[in-house]
Amino acid sequence: MTVSTSYKGHPALSDQDWGFSTISEMPATMNPAPSRMFYVYLAAPAIILLAAITIYPFLWLIYMSFHKVGFGAAGDVFVGVENFSRLFSDARYIEGWGLLAKYSAICLSIQVVVGVTLAVVLNNSRHEKVLVTLFLMPMMVSPVVAGLLFYYLYNGTFGWYHWIFQSIGLLGETSILGSTKTALYGIILVDVWQWTPLITLITLAGLKRVPQDQLEANMVDGAGSISNFFHVSLPNIYPFLLIAVLLRFMDNFRFIDAILALTGGGPSNSTRLLPVYLFDVSFQFFKLGRGAAIALTLLIVTIILGMILVRVLEDPARKKALQGDTDN
Amino acid sequence: MASREIISYDTGFFVKALKWISPIFLTFFLVWSLLPLFIMFVSSLKDLLDAFSVPAPGDWAGATVFFDFSPTFAHYVALFTENGFGTYLFNSLVASIGSAMIAVTLGSMCAYSLSRSEFRGKKDLLFWIISTRMAPIVAVIVPLYAIFRSVDLVGTLPGLILAFTTFNLPFAIWMLKGFFDGVPYAIEEAAQVDGQNRFQAFLTILPLVAPGLGAFVILCILFAWNDFLFATIIGSGGAKTLPAATRELVQPQNIDWGKIMAAGVVTTAPMIPLGLLVRRYLVAGLTMGAVKE
Repeated sequence: MTVSTSYKGHPALSDQDWGFSTISEMPATMNPAPSRMFYVYLAAPAIILLAAITIYPFLWLIYMSFHKVGFGAAGDVFVGVENFSRLFSDARYIEGWGLLAKYSAICLSIQVVVGVTLAVVLNNSRHEKVLVTLFLMPMMVSPVVAGLLFYYLYNGTFGWYHWIFQSIGLLGETSILGSTKTALYGIILVDVWQWTPLITLITLAGLKRVPQDQLEANMVDGAGSISNFFHVSLPNIYPFLLIAVLLRFMDNFRFIDAILALTGGGPSNSTRLLPVYLFDVSFQFFKLGRGAAIALTLLIVTIILGMILVRVLEDPARKKALQGDTDN
Repeated sequence: MASREIISYDTGFFVKALKWISPIFLTFFLVWSLLPLFIMFVSSLKDLLDAFSVPAPGDWAGATVFFDFSPTFAHYVALFTENGFGTYLFNSLVASIGSAMIAVTLGSMCAYSLSRSEFRGKKDLLFWIISTRMAPIVAVIVPLYAIFRSVDLVGTLPGLILAFTTFNLPFAIWMLKGFFDGVPYAIEEAAQVDGQNRFQAFLTILPLVAPGLGAFVILCILFAWNDFLFATIIGSGGAKTLPAATRELVQPQNIDWGKIMAAGVVTTAPMIPLGLLVRRYLVAGLTMGAVKE
């Protein structure tokens, strides 16, 4: 109910002349127009601060991408689009995208399959609350600490996980991070360990909103539990999964902490995903101009992914499905 | 109840199989989730020799050697006396709490304003805000470093607080906007009728969103505390935090794993209770408010 409609609805304030003053004749001070400036003042500190620490660096990034950035007395030299054009012939740059895609694809497929299975099992478990609490602990670990922890567990001479891998015959003497064939899986396992619980939590939230009447209707039609899962539950949790996958995918661009701690990109570039390569170009070789060009391409892809995510979020039908009516 | 009967009649093969498999699956996943944390904790209490003893491959019975040690707190003591972890703990606390307070204070004002006003380009503004949160840290850290260096903020706590604010502020704005959207405008209207001005009216509804404000302060602390890239590059020098300091314990030779595991425990231990405290808001927080439990 807004102010204007309630006034109009009142007989005393309708157009008919009742012989006494109407709203329009009241002094302006008694009914001040809502000030837009109030909202501007309230939002300004945050917006200005955010602009200062994001837009300014972004413009700087664009500037750097067109320059050969010098240190100290050596000034920046304008090189046009050279930083960008060289990317096309940079094998490691292209390989970096490929590895990022491969890493994300494997991580996400494992996380979705295991995460959804776990959510379904948990949803039917009596101990759901306790178990969920225990399962989500890995998510609280700082990614770099998780990386170091697994670096220790994977160690070829005294790592307990290496011992387990050896004992079940998965690996020989070489540790999982020591070979170009297995190192990628080594870093994938850490991501799976930390973030599968998130997929489970999101799926669980979705499963709680699967309409009971749809499940029952399907069962009346003679369907079993398996059919119920694939024909009723899965379509209902699909928007949740979509969001989970998009968010995790974007986090793979964002977080390289664990990879830096585990392999730093090695052995022989087998785990040098694009963000790791970008880190090396900027902070190992100090080629800030080229780094900026790589960063911009990475940013553009992130922004496109972000637009897709927001579109998914804003879609009214999905929004309804996601938020549900079980707000408590 | 009729519906119950229909469900209970369903005793297909898969349902029976699921009944047997699910406890095994849950147990396996529980071990998989907690074993690394358990090993980290136990290893932090082992001295150098004990930490390196592992049975021969395939010798399953020999695994008991894991528990065959005399616990020592030497690593924890050494961290705080020799490695200056007291300072790093202090830096972590100041930087994460500082950025969380800035983010939630400025963020709640901005979020309220965005929630209550309607203007052209609002969607674009919101997208810009959320995109700053999604930007890869490696991509923005180079220019941020250059800017911070030119104003002498590198290696200082204010610099690190500001760096953490780049991801905490957009998070706080976005999440709190969702919260204010859920508060009816009528409450502020009533407050204004009572003679309060608009800012006072804004303060009136703050207690209604207090649980959310508290939860997002904690989530912001969590994100900042666990950050590594900003901490190691912007904080390098004078404002090293726990994750950055833990990483630096890894030397090319003679790595003292007991100490690193102890540092890992020191870094992780405060965050687990904090995370469980905001359990109810965790999913919303980690999905940018898209999914609510």
